[in-house]
Amino acid sequence: MGAFFLLPLLIVLAYSILSKGDYGGVALPVTGANYIRFLDPLYLRILGRTFWMAALTTALCLAIGYPLAYFIAFYGGRWKPALLFLVVMPFWTSFLVRTYAWIFLLRDTGLINTILIRLGWIRAPLPLLYNEGAVLVGLVYGFLPLTVLPLYASIERLDRTLLEAAADLGARPAVSLARVTVPLTMPGIYAGGVLVFISALGAYITPDLLGGGKSILIGNLVQNQFTTARDWPFGAAVSLLLMAVVVAALQLYRRREEAA
Amino acid sequence: MRGSRALPAFAVAAYGFLHLPVLVLIVFSFNESRFTVWTGLSWRWYRELARSTRMLEALGNSLLVAVASTLISTAIGTLCAYAMSRHRIRGARVLDAVLQLSIVTPEIVTGISLLAFFQFVFRFTDFGLGLDTIIIAHVAFSIAFVLLVVRVRLAALDPALEEAAMDLGAGPVTTFFRVTLPLLQPGIVAAALLAFILSFDDYVITSLVAGVGSETLPMVIYSMARRGVSPVVNALSAVLVVALGALILAADRLQRRSAA
Amino acid sequence: MISRRQFLAASAAALTGCRRRRAGGEVSVYCWSDYIAADTVAAFERETSLRVNYETFESQEEMLAKILAGGGGWDVVFPGNTLVGPMVRRALIREIDHQRLSNLANLEARFLDPPWDRGDRHSVPYMWGLSGFVYNRKALGRAATGWADLWDRAVKGKITMLDDPAEVLGACLKKLGHSLNSIDERELQAARAEALRQKPLLRAYLNAEVKPQLIAGDVWAAQLWNGDAYQAIAENRDLAYCFPSEGFALYADSAVILTQSRNPDSAYRWIDYLLRPDVGASIARSTMFPTPNARALELLDPALRANPDLYPPPGRLTSAEWFTEISAEGQSLRDRIWTEIKAA
Repeated sequence: MGAFFLLPLLIVLAYSILSKGDYGGVALPVTGANYIRFLDPLYLRILGRTFWMAALTTALCLAIGYPLAYFIAFYGGRWKPALLFLVVMPFWTSFLVRTYAWIFLLRDTGLINTILIRLGWIRAPLPLLYNEGAVLVGLVYGFLPLTVLPLYASIERLDRTLLEAAADLGARPAVSLARVTVPLTMPGIYAGGVLVFISALGAYITPDLLGGGKSILIGNLVQNQFTTARDWPFGAAVSLLLMAVVVAALQLYRRREEAA
Repeated sequence: MRGSRALPAFAVAAYGFLHLPVLVLIVFSFNESRFTVWTGLSWRWYRELARSTRMLEALGNSLLVAVASTLISTAIGTLCAYAMSRHRIRGARVLDAVLQLSIVTPEIVTGISLLAFFQFVFRFTDFGLGLDTIIIAHVAFSIAFVLLVVRVRLAALDPALEEAAMDLGAGPVTTFFRVTLPLLQPGIVAAALLAFILSFDDYVITSLVAGVGSETLPMVIYSMARRGVSPVVNALSAVLVVALGALILAADRLQRRSAA
Repeated sequence: MISRRQFLAASAAALTGCRRRRAGGEVSVYCWSDYIAADTVAAFERETSLRVNYETFESQEEMLAKILAGGGGWDVVFPGNTLVGPMVRRALIREIDHQRLSNLANLEARFLDPPWDRGDRHSVPYMWGLSGFVYNRKALGRAATGWADLWDRAVKGKITMLDDPAEVLGACLKKLGHSLNSIDERELQAARAEALRQKPLLRAYLNAEVKPQLIAGDVWAAQLWNGDAYQAIAENRDLAYCFPSEGFALYADSAVILTQSRNPDSAYRWIDYLLRPDVGASIARSTMFPTPNARALELLDPALRANPDLYPPPGRLTSAEWFTEISAEGQSLRDRIWTEIKAA
């Protein structure tokens, strides 16, 4: 177990402090240059954009996932297990196929453009595929199931008498939602948010397939260093930094959970 | 919110978002035309799929990898889970942390660390990238999932049963095989299904550690998805979604039965 | 639920069933996608009773990365001319024993002693080509003439460039009047600015994958190799190919045998087979790429042979330039600029 996971990671660590060999591979001397190189604005910008996309994905997943989880918890009745299953199932059916489905929908001669043109709403196809919007849709679509489960768990645990009390005291539904429901379900929001955030940080397939190679996130940068650029040490350093960011996000979350 | 129709409508929309893209893809896999215009029902693309040696070979590779890695990771994972729950292991907390870390590690990082690991090992051995390395990689990433699933089941196990067996004179090995293992079976099967699905669907790690004669189904889909849309890939997607969906349904049933 | 025994039996069957091997030996080939005829492999297998393990890549960097990472289990791979030198120096490929290639003499004289591998010591030219661009005449409404047409705001969102640093930088450098192979920092920075100016107009960076989108009319102009372009033109007659007036790149892809090859005998048979006039002609017909094989050329349809985009008369190649190998420092600079372009 440890051998399977830790040993490879140690080798990556070793690679990250070596120098780049001609045409791939690693060479001496030992150096910290690969980490310093990451401070270059170019790579910080890629990191920044990755953070931004991950944050947007998280926000959208929560915005869609929360009402959905709320609906299942309050209106699901005996269908709750089935409704939850319907949320989780797509997460386990081929991620690749689901990304591909969006190419099918979004491309110029895809379903959405075909329908809109048939309806006469547009004349020329809209450029839906190969941009950041498409990447965002793909990420939200891919990771939405991750938010719903923790949200559902915390909403389900909610003491309903509190909501009734708020209503009795004259709080309008919107007020009781903002003042009672959301604060009490914060643990679920954090848990779901962190899960999506760290998954989106490492996204690789979605930007590549739906972004058309025009926007690269940190995952693509790692992959590029190991293939096209043949700079293994730098790729190793970037992947360890990515890992560190993920661990930090998780640690922050854990701190908060322990405090609560 | 109660009494309003907005929430149910929103939930319907969210379910639509989760399922329609793939459903539409499946519907259009039966379309006679290769374009996104419905011209009539046809099995044409499925017949073409069945004739494609590349896809059939990839399917064979995928099944081989998934079955082999499932068997190995389930066996190792189950034993590890058992050892961790029944014996006080020094550094159990560290092991726990490693476990969680390996689950949240971005796939691209796992992939390159395994690649670096293999490359390191190749210096001293005569191996090369191929189906074997894919299987090892898949075992490496699915063990943690197996461990977690089995551990949940183990925690729910009544230790009195094992003690009773021991009291009746059964040795620890007999007890493990005759008492513990049968009781764990639903959890183990659920874990195995999970490992199978994870392996069968993986692209990022697989593509990095693949070599000669080891193209898997997700690799074929990926390279075809980069080319845009092909009706044969639509058909393949439909087959995969239905097959994986059935597996997930089975896993879900099992888990629920074992939980009950 | 299935019993344990059934499960084991099924998995054992799957394990043994998938690894079918033929008695006659095998050869593993790693080649560019869409780079052989549909029946090339099958016919070779029938003739020789060798099994061919045929797999494809979209970029040669991907191929080299796989080999460097230990995927050297292939017997024959097809690097471009700029990669032959580095692969020789890293001892990744074997010297070619000309005695074992009875059909080698079929190659045109200029491909028997090319500048990137004098005397074909390590590589056997397979196909050559050039990188201009293909465009949709009807959608564009005019004939395109040069790279500047790919910087035209009117076709915003309908243009693609190759997902390849050498190609994109090459086009930008040529547009500016520099050499494709420049490693001059100032020239490369200017090329970078050109690429950044073009990026908002681009639909995507795609290699051969762009063909279906060209055929479907989703893409109106795409930097593409001439053979690939003609595969698309065959399906959509509105498409035409342009030799950019500012200049463009020439390249050749060659067959090489990897040092780690376990089946060198089969590898020689495969390469010699590809050099046969009838086989070379059938590949040239179906991939549309120009063949360096003089005797295969004779077998081609006169119409194809006379196509000035595929077999250009020397007069059309005056502004062409061969890709050459880039020094390590030059390559680092180019890699960085490429990341900057991609990250912008």
